[in-house]
Amino acid sequence: MKERYQNRIELLQGTLDLLILQTLLWGPQHGFGISRAIRANSSDLLQVDAGSLYPALHRLEKQKWIGADWKISENKQEVKVYRLTAAGRKRLTQERSRWEQISEAIGGVLNPAKKEGAS
Amino acid sequence: MKFWWLWSKRGKELDKEIQHHLQMAAAERGERGASIRDAESGAQREFGNVGLVKEVTRDTWGWRWLEDLFEDVRYGLRVLSKNPSFSIAAVLAIALGVGINVGLFSVLNGVVLRLLPVPRAEQILSVNQIFHHHVSRNVHNGESLFSYAEYLDYREHNHVFSGLLAYEPFVEATLGGGHMQPLLGTLTSCNYFEVLNIHPAQGRGFVDTDCAAPGQNAVVVVSDELWRGTFASDASLVGKQIILNRTPCTVIGIAAPGFSGTEPVASAFWAPITMQKELDAGRDRLGDSNMSWLALLGRVDPGVTTEQVHADLSVIAGRIDQSHPGRITSLAISRATLVGRPDEREFLIPVASVVLAAFGLVLLIACANVSNLLLARASVRQKEIALRLSMGASRWRLVRQLLTESLLLSAAGGALGSLLAFWSFAGVAHFLIAHLPKHFPTPALDLAPDFPVLAYALALTLLTGVAFGLLPALQSSRLDLNTALKADGAFSGSSRKSGRVLRDAFVGAQIAVCMVLLLAAGLLLRGLYYAQTIDPGFDVKNVASAFLSLQTLGFDESRATGFAGSLRKRVADLPGVLEVAQAETAPLSNDHIGDNFLVPGHAEKVGMEYNYVSPEFFSVVGVPIVRGRGFAANDWRDGTPTIVTESTARRLWPGQDPLGKTFRDRLTGGLAGPQHAVVGVAKDARVSRLGESDTMYVYFPASPTRNMRSYLLIRFEGNVRDLNDSVREVARSIDADVPVQVTTLEDNMEVWRAPARIVTGLSGALGGLALLLALIGVYGMVSYSVSRSVREIGIRMALGADGSEVMSHVLRQAMRPVAIGCVIGVAGCAAVSWVLSSLLFGLGAHDPIAFISVPVFLLVVALVASYIPARRAMRVDPVVALRYE
Repeated sequence: MKERYQNRIELLQGTLDLLILQTLLWGPQHGFGISRAIRANSSDLLQVDAGSLYPALHRLEKQKWIGADWKISENKQEVKVYRLTAAGRKRLTQERSRWEQISEAIGGVLNPAKKEGAS
Repeated sequence: MKFWWLWSKRGKELDKEIQHHLQMAAAERGERGASIRDAESGAQREFGNVGLVKEVTRDTWGWRWLEDLFEDVRYGLRVLSKNPSFSIAAVLAIALGVGINVGLFSVLNGVVLRLLPVPRAEQILSVNQIFHHHVSRNVHNGESLFSYAEYLDYREHNHVFSGLLAYEPFVEATLGGGHMQPLLGTLTSCNYFEVLNIHPAQGRGFVDTDCAAPGQNAVVVVSDELWRGTFASDASLVGKQIILNRTPCTVIGIAAPGFSGTEPVASAFWAPITMQKELDAGRDRLGDSNMSWLALLGRVDPGVTTEQVHADLSVIAGRIDQSHPGRITSLAISRATLVGRPDEREFLIPVASVVLAAFGLVLLIACANVSNLLLARASVRQKEIALRLSMGASRWRLVRQLLTESLLLSAAGGALGSLLAFWSFAGVAHFLIAHLPKHFPTPALDLAPDFPVLAYALALTLLTGVAFGLLPALQSSRLDLNTALKADGAFSGSSRKSGRVLRDAFVGAQIAVCMVLLLAAGLLLRGLYYAQTIDPGFDVKNVASAFLSLQTLGFDESRATGFAGSLRKRVADLPGVLEVAQAETAPLSNDHIGDNFLVPGHAEKVGMEYNYVSPEFFSVVGVPIVRGRGFAANDWRDGTPTIVTESTARRLWPGQDPLGKTFRDRLTGGLAGPQHAVVGVAKDARVSRLGESDTMYVYFPASPTRNMRSYLLIRFEGNVRDLNDSVREVARSIDADVPVQVTTLEDNMEVWRAPARIVTGLSGALGGLALLLALIGVYGMVSYSVSRSVREIGIRMALGADGSEVMSHVLRQAMRPVAIGCVIGVAGCAAVSWVLSSLLFGLGAHDPIAFISVPVFLLVVALVASYIPARRAMRVDPVVALRYE
């Protein structure tokens, strides 16, 4: 069971980091909020399961790309809220440009005719 | 502690975070119209396995190793508790090995490492000087000490000490008055208590005016022990006078309880250094600027380094050297401990390293033993290990698991052993001290465990765990998976073979080490037996001696002669006394007098021991004159007649008649002094050392006025206790202030045997422990190998071998490593046994009786230890053995 989660984290790692950092760009958010935001913004296509999300959040926190604060919610509960750090912002631009390169490259592979036609 | 707190805090935070996630998810479902129960279970389902998510998340914290450690420890504890007899045997073996080593270290720590028992002891430095060119110097208690003039120079001109004190250790004094008793005390500079920051419990310490002028201030501070003991806690003692060496001294203070000075021997009193001449009549050390007699201790201000102190004091040393042509002095500066002077360390370090090595050997045997147990067990656990390897555990992970188990064992053993050591070693030390010969002063040692001892115990425990665990762990994690999983373990090919070699090596090593210890014990025992039965060459039973230390009592020469002369005369008239003699030193009193002489025909100066004796000496002690004549009554007036021993005559004038030969005193600078002419030859006797009958030894005629320090020798009939009473009565009637004690010369032999007895007892105990451990090792190995090769034995028997053949096969296999170990052990011991020669009383360090009987004994015992389990091999029923699977 444990093996399965770990495999999936590795599979998603780069992308999930990017999605989390991008989500936090709009403002601090708790874990559940981040998962819902990713789902909403991908029109329910991307479902991030908790077994991937929380290890990723804790890892990013350890790498100092995101920070965490404890806040009191409306129903008087302590909530851990994550926010983007300056290092995280820099990381986000790197990750974004890398993602764009990859998707461009994959797009090129998937549509070779179009590319040939263009040249 | 902080770590645990952080760890549990982060765990709680993660719980809270996940709880919040689930609540939010449930609330979301609730908003969409689900019932509360559906919403909660739906949220759970969507989230997945909460425990697993937590675990995976925790992994990202990077504390995985710690959790693994917990797991290893938990698993290790389970494995060990499943096999209690193995665990208990291993823990006990380690406890024994670690325990005796920690105990020994706490003694060494108390002697050598522990700082002085004074406040902020780390600021106190001991200063010693080392002379490079051979300089002519008067020495009292050690060459590295200072003269009074040098001390004053260093005290006035240094810029590094807030205070520098000087003291003369081991000052012998006789307490007079109603409490007649010999004491050891200290003469100190008057800043002594101030610099050490030890303030007397009653009265005052010394002030500068106490040391203002030589001989003017007869004041004394007595130790708490003396006050409580001899003076029965007399509340009005301060202000009273006590008599020390016939000098009345006013008690001005009583030292703090527990403070016994800065030497390993407790000081009973402290007097100003300026009282030196009064307390040790006839010697003027205070005024001798070339006399080594004062130990220096300085207190530095915080932040001053040893290097700075060295640099500052070296300037002063250099200046002093300039006024002594040819002298080059360097200074040794170190943190002050009870035993810290270079000469003391020179003596202590070789002794300590031999003892440490012997104790270390026992720990080594214990380690080899546990290693072997682990190896044997590892082959039983092969299937488990193979299973874990095949499930993907890395070898490193397995080694770590196995090492954790050994460290658990060593931690339990180390803790147990250290506790036993702390609890018992103080008792053992006191036992040893109580069995020292009666003239030995009581050592003042603090054996309580402190930081260095605990650190040593911990380091030794960890080292032990790795030492006995590493090889078996590496060995057993190197497995051929196929064979290990298929076979039943007993026949799993290659690893079994190399495991066997390793196990044999461990057994051989144990036997070798055990042999060294047993041989040492055997040699010492032989030496002791020899010493008990030795014929010293003179009569020890019917001769008694009394030491007259008249000089330390403050007698001058004429008074001493008066006292000793009338004592001799009146003792000779006592009933039961046959004859009395006077001698400068008594046979075997361990009181040696020696010097260098110039002998015609010998280019080098000849070192010889000598004794000044009255004419009756030879008949009183029972040493026959074999050639020439004994001393005549007037020989001392002339001074030249001399009697030499047979060995001395043989060595100085081989093949010649010694009578009429002459030699001279060698004076300072190599000049020839008064001449001695040989008039007689005395039979060799062990008068100087119990172990030597051929010491270079000569007798000179004693003048009746040579009494400042002499022995009264009495040949008597009857009971020595009665003699003691009557001689004391006589002495008291002549001078009530002279303590006299009469003992037989046989008691002197005890002084020589006591250290041998202690060392023999110690090495015998160590050898016994080693033997026990090694036998457990041999027994374990044989019974293990028999139980593992039941099938092999069954096949042999099915093919026609009978019981005795099987038995001899098993025994041969078992005894091979034992025999190899024996040979190595004997060779090793033969190489190092010379270190014991001073305790063997002339018995050779390669005494054949010890070197034959001990190995035979060990071999026989090892044979018995392997025979018992090997008998089982004989009883193997081939049918049962082959059906075993």
